[in-house]
Amino acid sequence: MATKLKKAGALTATLAMGAVIAGCAGGGPESEGGKITDDAIKLGVITDLSSVYSELAGPNAVEAVKMAVEDFKAEHGDDAVTQNIEVTEADHQNKPEIANTTAREMYDRDGVDAIFDVPTSSAALAVANIAKQNQKMYFNIGAATTELTGAQCNPYTYHYAYNTHMLAHGTGKTVTEQGSKSWYIIYPDYAFGQDMNKSFTEAIKESGGNVVKADATPFPNDNFATFMTKAPTLTPKPDVLGTMQAGDDLVNVVNQYNEFGLQDKGINLAVGLMFDTDIASIGVKKLEGTLYTTPWFWNLDDRSREWADRFKQRTGTRPTFDHAANYSATMQYLEAVQRTGTDDADAIRKELDGHSFDDFFARNAQFRAADHAVTHDAYLAKLAKVKKESEVKEDFDFTKAVKKIPAEEAYMDAADSGCDMG
Amino acid sequence: MILTRLVKATSGWSPVLRIGMLVVGLALALGLPWMMYPPIALDIVAWGLFAVALDLLLGYTGMLSFGHAAFWGSSAYATGIIAKQVGLPFYFAVLGGALVVAALALPIAMLCVRRSGIYFAMVTLAFAQMIYFIANQWRAVTGGENGLQGVPRRFFGVDLTDSFYFYYAALPLLLLGLLGAWRVVHSPFGRVMVAIRENQARARALGYPVDRYKVQVFVLSAFLAGVAGGVYAVSHGFASLQEVYWTTSGKVVVMNILGGMGTLWGPVLGAAIIVQLEDYLATAGIDATNLVTGVIFVVTVLLFRRGIWGTVRYLVRSRTATRHDSAADEEDAEAESRPAPARQG
Amino acid sequence: MSGLLQQLFNGLVSGSFYALLALGLSVIFGMLGVVNFAHGAFYMLGAFGAFVLLDSAGLNWWLALLVVPILLGVIGMVLERAFVHRLMHLFPLYNFLLTFGIALILQDLIRLKYGVTSQPYPRPTILDGMVDLGVFTYPKYQVFVLVLSIVLSVLVWLVLTRTRVGMIVRASTERAELTQSLGIDVRRWVTPVFGFGIALAGLAGVLAAPMRAVNSEMGADLIIVIFAVVVIGGLGSVVGSVAAGYIVGMLTEFGNFYIPALSQILVFVLMALVLLLRPAGLFGREEGSPA
Repeated sequence: MATKLKKAGALTATLAMGAVIAGCAGGGPESEGGKITDDAIKLGVITDLSSVYSELAGPNAVEAVKMAVEDFKAEHGDDAVTQNIEVTEADHQNKPEIANTTAREMYDRDGVDAIFDVPTSSAALAVANIAKQNQKMYFNIGAATTELTGAQCNPYTYHYAYNTHMLAHGTGKTVTEQGSKSWYIIYPDYAFGQDMNKSFTEAIKESGGNVVKADATPFPNDNFATFMTKAPTLTPKPDVLGTMQAGDDLVNVVNQYNEFGLQDKGINLAVGLMFDTDIASIGVKKLEGTLYTTPWFWNLDDRSREWADRFKQRTGTRPTFDHAANYSATMQYLEAVQRTGTDDADAIRKELDGHSFDDFFARNAQFRAADHAVTHDAYLAKLAKVKKESEVKEDFDFTKAVKKIPAEEAYMDAADSGCDMG
Repeated sequence: MILTRLVKATSGWSPVLRIGMLVVGLALALGLPWMMYPPIALDIVAWGLFAVALDLLLGYTGMLSFGHAAFWGSSAYATGIIAKQVGLPFYFAVLGGALVVAALALPIAMLCVRRSGIYFAMVTLAFAQMIYFIANQWRAVTGGENGLQGVPRRFFGVDLTDSFYFYYAALPLLLLGLLGAWRVVHSPFGRVMVAIRENQARARALGYPVDRYKVQVFVLSAFLAGVAGGVYAVSHGFASLQEVYWTTSGKVVVMNILGGMGTLWGPVLGAAIIVQLEDYLATAGIDATNLVTGVIFVVTVLLFRRGIWGTVRYLVRSRTATRHDSAADEEDAEAESRPAPARQG
Repeated sequence: MSGLLQQLFNGLVSGSFYALLALGLSVIFGMLGVVNFAHGAFYMLGAFGAFVLLDSAGLNWWLALLVVPILLGVIGMVLERAFVHRLMHLFPLYNFLLTFGIALILQDLIRLKYGVTSQPYPRPTILDGMVDLGVFTYPKYQVFVLVLSIVLSVLVWLVLTRTRVGMIVRASTERAELTQSLGIDVRRWVTPVFGFGIALAGLAGVLAAPMRAVNSEMGADLIIVIFAVVVIGGLGSVVGSVAAGYIVGMLTEFGNFYIPALSQILVFVLMALVLLLRPAGLFGREEGSPA
């Protein structure tokens, strides 16, 4: 859990610290120029600290940002544009109204230069509007909606990590190409589910499959019996049940999929979006062999493991992809400030547009100028087969990469995104 | 002069005190954005009006609506849509939103007043949940889960991007709403409301068409909640499902209980406390908002049912009781004295 | 045809939960005049009780089915004596608000302790797998839930109609003042009845643990549907709340089947219709004026 200093306290403390450091170091490359407003870089993390996404994002996302700040300071030492970097956090409880108010307070009252994370599409879009109004940087990580880089894109918002298009073109395409041609899709009846249904249907059709039926389910919902009993009666009988549910609803779907014995009836399960925390709570046993798409997982390779080890030392747990992406985005932002020598948002976005990079989280990555998607490779992953849950020795140690989805496939063409930067 | 008329209408307080309170209240309303972050100040006044709107029903007429989010939220949507589509100053959008909500409230009220007491609470809650599901489904209009984004702050060509100035632009609308509620409470209509609360059967026996009065209060309350919700939507630049969710209904009830229902000033005070508390909890990183709200509920209901304002007023009154021993003061909604009405099936 | 029957069956199973919860809510209301907003929270505690017993003490589901409702029933009785009782002579809304506050507290405490992701709970092995019901096969566990809920409802009904205790409870449920005036001491039964209602909610929770996601929010939205159920059935009426439970269950499942987008609204539409046509509920009795 992050230490929670009151803002004022944190401010004075860091200012004092900053003054001392500045005195010793004689200033970084641009410190005389005064291009860093308030002589400090202020980062704000708006995330879910108390509600459904607090484990997959939450306090550990804040930790990831702080970790990046420390690494940045250590890496650049005296050459850093400033040593004075603050991180403030706020809990939006996934409510867009709270996200809206806190974002405005951060930019407007606290002088925050960039906001990170913001899971939940509705809250994410609310913050994007505020970023646009205030002309300040915003890196969304936790939300899945393609609207952020589509109809509601703006010059100050970048979308990191993942989106519904990536999930569909990973899982939907591969499963169809592997021979499960006919799909029965169930999706929760709200924005995310509707987006997912649309993206999946497109991807399935592109790959030569067909969607026998797509049903909206109530949200939230704990009883999917209707859909489980309906699935085998459809004509033609579907090869695969595609569930777009998330969180607790997904837990219910998987439980009831097993309970109604759909696998024995020849209907496989494909999951639209799954976080490591979901898998742990459903139980790997119930999900063994399930294919799903993820932008990253900690056990991907040595580079990822090395970072995940440091993360675990700090937090006691393995990171989710949201945590890794928060670190990566923070680092990219700070490096851009370092390169330009200013925290001015317009200078930063010009610097970032078109910038290519490669780090432990984002491979083959680019800040795409046209729609502000930060594109990178994603992975089609498969859950390990286990005999018992206790075989999973470590947090989230159950994923194997089956296939790399190159960035060009994972993200839609910028021309199709519907984004007009204006 | 309006002040003297206002003062004449209230009974039980010394005139000096009442003028003093009005002046202090107005000064507070005008000074609020100097004391805190202006959007929070506006939230306080908007929630204050919302809480007062509920107080008309809950405190004065004895009807617990646990579904008032439906009206606040529907108006937020309606106002937002009007503001986006029609290029008029936001006053018109807010008014339009509130009228839409009044029209929506009428059939709901007519159904709900068929039951009273606790039944009424459950039925209003259920209808609100229905509105919530509709708002969630009707994505083309409400934006569904994503909410209705980008509601403009148009105001006769004046730039209100700065929330400080927006506060003063929106304040008259909210104060008018509060004044309206105040006038209603101190009118003959208000006396009938209290009579219904105290003894519905007697009010009916006296020849008052009780159900019609209830429907009227309900629609009026919904309208005022609509004004508040509309201003809130314009202030925040968007409307979301949260506005119609049942926890919002619970929040406005807690404002009433905490501040003191049946007092008008109390709910505003309750709103100020809850809004500040929520802001504090969100920024201080304390992740137990519901726990805190729940404890406030339990403690207030168990220990000081009069709420903060009600308790203060009670204490002031008992000191001045000798001067006002015609204490049959209908504007007072002392919960303690209220008997449990006969159970209605 | 078998498809239709199957949906009917789905409806009865989900109705089982509504019925058990509405039944508990209804007896509590009958006896105390209190609408217990925390009923959903106790349903959640029931499921968590089963989880905790399994997780920390290794107690299996069958034992949980017995232990958890008794435990929660006792907690309910303590709660009644400590808080609910003090407010009973006052405006009934105070208890509604009190229990709302208690529900918020319970849910948040569980969330703070166990986090937000759902806890896994295995099905009891005997009830794993499917059973052939002739027309279609169905998960054994769900058939068991349905049978148990029907048996329980019938038992409660028998107790209420065939025993002296039941007579008193029923009489005070339906004619409180009259019963009191006949010199029957109703007060003695208030606390046990409250505990019993809570125990029923807890039992429903234990039943839910193996088939629904176990998390702190699981009862929060459910309680509102239950409110609609009891309004439809008639709040004082025991038969009414159980019947309405199954009716609403079937309505939602058919809704899911034919018009999934609107299924959640259906229950409220039904409620509005009932209010319009029979304000006292399908099985409720009109008492004086409809107000």
